[in-house]
Amino acid sequence: MNQGSSIARRLIIAVLLLEGLAAVLLIVAVIVNEHQDEYRAFDANLRASANAFLGAVQEAEDSSPNIGLDVRRIPRTPHAVYRITDGEGHVLGTQGPVPELTIEPDSFRRVKIDGHSYRFFALDGERVVDPGTPTAVVHQVHILYGQPDGRVWHEIWEATRFFMVATALLLGVTAVLLVWMIRRLLAPIHVLASEADKVNSVHWSFTAPAVAMHLAELRPLASAMERTVNRLQRSFEQQKRFTRDAAHELKTDLAIVKSSLQLLTMKERSVEEYGKGLGIALEDFTRLEDTVQQMLTLARLEQPADAVSPMCALHQVLQDNVTQSASFASLNKVTLAASPVATVFVPVDARDAALLCSNLIVNALQHSPDHGAVEIALRSDGTSATLTVRDHGEGITEEDRPHLFEPFYRGDPSRSRKSGGTGLGLSICKAICDRAGGSIEIDNHRAGGAVVTVKLPLSNGQLERGTGPS
Amino acid sequence: MRLLIIEDEKRLAENIAQALREAGFAVDHAADGITGSHMAVQDIFDAIILDLMLPGKSGKRVLTELRQTKSRTPVLVLTALEGKETIVDLLNSGADDYLAKPFDLGELLARVKALIRRAKGVSSTIIQVADMEIDTVRQTVKRRGQEIDLSPMEYRILQYLSYRPRAIVSKQELLEHLYDFEWEHHSNDIEAHISNLRRKLNLQGPEPLIETLRHRGYRLSEEASS
Repeated sequence: MNQGSSIARRLIIAVLLLEGLAAVLLIVAVIVNEHQDEYRAFDANLRASANAFLGAVQEAEDSSPNIGLDVRRIPRTPHAVYRITDGEGHVLGTQGPVPELTIEPDSFRRVKIDGHSYRFFALDGERVVDPGTPTAVVHQVHILYGQPDGRVWHEIWEATRFFMVATALLLGVTAVLLVWMIRRLLAPIHVLASEADKVNSVHWSFTAPAVAMHLAELRPLASAMERTVNRLQRSFEQQKRFTRDAAHELKTDLAIVKSSLQLLTMKERSVEEYGKGLGIALEDFTRLEDTVQQMLTLARLEQPADAVSPMCALHQVLQDNVTQSASFASLNKVTLAASPVATVFVPVDARDAALLCSNLIVNALQHSPDHGAVEIALRSDGTSATLTVRDHGEGITEEDRPHLFEPFYRGDPSRSRKSGGTGLGLSICKAICDRAGGSIEIDNHRAGGAVVTVKLPLSNGQLERGTGPS
Repeated sequence: MRLLIIEDEKRLAENIAQALREAGFAVDHAADGITGSHMAVQDIFDAIILDLMLPGKSGKRVLTELRQTKSRTPVLVLTALEGKETIVDLLNSGADDYLAKPFDLGELLARVKALIRRAKGVSSTIIQVADMEIDTVRQTVKRRGQEIDLSPMEYRILQYLSYRPRAIVSKQELLEHLYDFEWEHHSNDIEAHISNLRRKLNLQGPEPLIETLRHRGYRLSEEASS
């Protein structure tokens, strides 16, 4: 929470902002409401005072038909400002600096006097002198009465102040509660993080904590992490096993070379013995070289493919390899036949295609009994090429099936070593097929022996020309 | 001395076997764990060289099963595996020594010889029997300071007997421990070698060192100087 943004902080800020906005709106509403109430009361008070003045207008003391103002019974209001005039404009009574105003009768207006705000009420009334007599005279009376309304604002402030303080207090309390609750709510994330933090190259076990799996929002994340860790672990273990097996393989080959040479130096030997020994050592070296070469090939094939897709004539490559392997086959008394061979172009580098063919043929020959036969077929169905290599050996066991393409895996270790394989041949074949977007499988033939089936997509050129089956 | 190599890597086994034979050992070879296990329990070997990664039966299982038969044959393990745990594990399973591949052939020979010496209850490379001295490193024999020229087989018989002074060693035992399966020999070869050995060792004066006990075997006596 120190750097960058935090969900908790954002949540808290958002909730507090909304709360604050609601509080402000509420306070405004309360102020408006209070303002109306106070002014209604103030206006009623003005009206009542004006009416009282109207009531205080009465006949003059003398016998004239004029009227006068008797303020004795009117309670004095210190800051009140008024002027009472009759129909002729005679001022009957006044107090304070009354401004010259023309206000519609029975209406209110606010006026500023000497920087103070006043509210005025105008009242027009009639005063009848000697009513019910023939000498009755009707007098018009204009009353302009005002009072400073600063007091009203004070009242409004007084009435809403408590409300504001209470709101602010509540806001503070909810903020504290909010922080605590959000911390609590987000605790599963921390638990998940600390659990994930324990994962390293030695300690791979990761099980999403139950608290995280309980939350609908966290469950996808937690289970995704679990799956990712498991995948990583598998690939890491695979890498580790490969490294270990490769080291074992290289050390064994090195041990052979080293012991062959040391054997020569252990005592004085004849020139013939030295010559023979060096020849054997050289053979051992060649095998070490082959192992290294195959490891490098596998590493190269496992790199991402180039942007430019290669193309090769698989039928030609296959024919060439069958021809090359013929002598090795006849040495092992195995017949090698390729039929049918369709014309197919596949998106595989020519060198890799040759490697694929030779590995599959050698593998089949190694697993063939004497006087056995290896049958090869290359077919095309217009969209993909299918290469099958069948031997008449012992076939594969269910136990070996899932591991056959693993580097250095040997169904029967002693046999592979004796026959010169490093245990990388099938891994290389699979890497070549995978790289071209194809597949490779090994199965037992119904009539005995193993069948390797390679499926490769046809290269774009051949698909466009439409030269499918032959 | 007869050794057993249990190693699936044919070329490596060939090299080790040749080196050991040149050093005067009889050597047999098993290419997988199952054959190796069968051969090891026969108790005719003076030491076993065992690879860990074996087809058929793992080297560790071969070792564990061998120790379950109460066999005390020293075992030297060859391993290409890394890690301390494996080594500790191996020694705890009854291995007497180990060598990591790629190893030094000379070191292998020295370790095998040391293992055999220790198993026979001898700590020095020079064995003293009465007034005779056998240097097991240079493979020379002296009696009363005088060097005696022996053929390789004569030396091997003498060395074997010297590891078991005063004990009666049967002809069968000598045959088992001095010849491997590939070594062609006749049952009366031992008699011929013993008689040659006795003739070469018997200088003027002292008592004969090697006694023959009819139908029982041979004995190297220690009281010859009396």
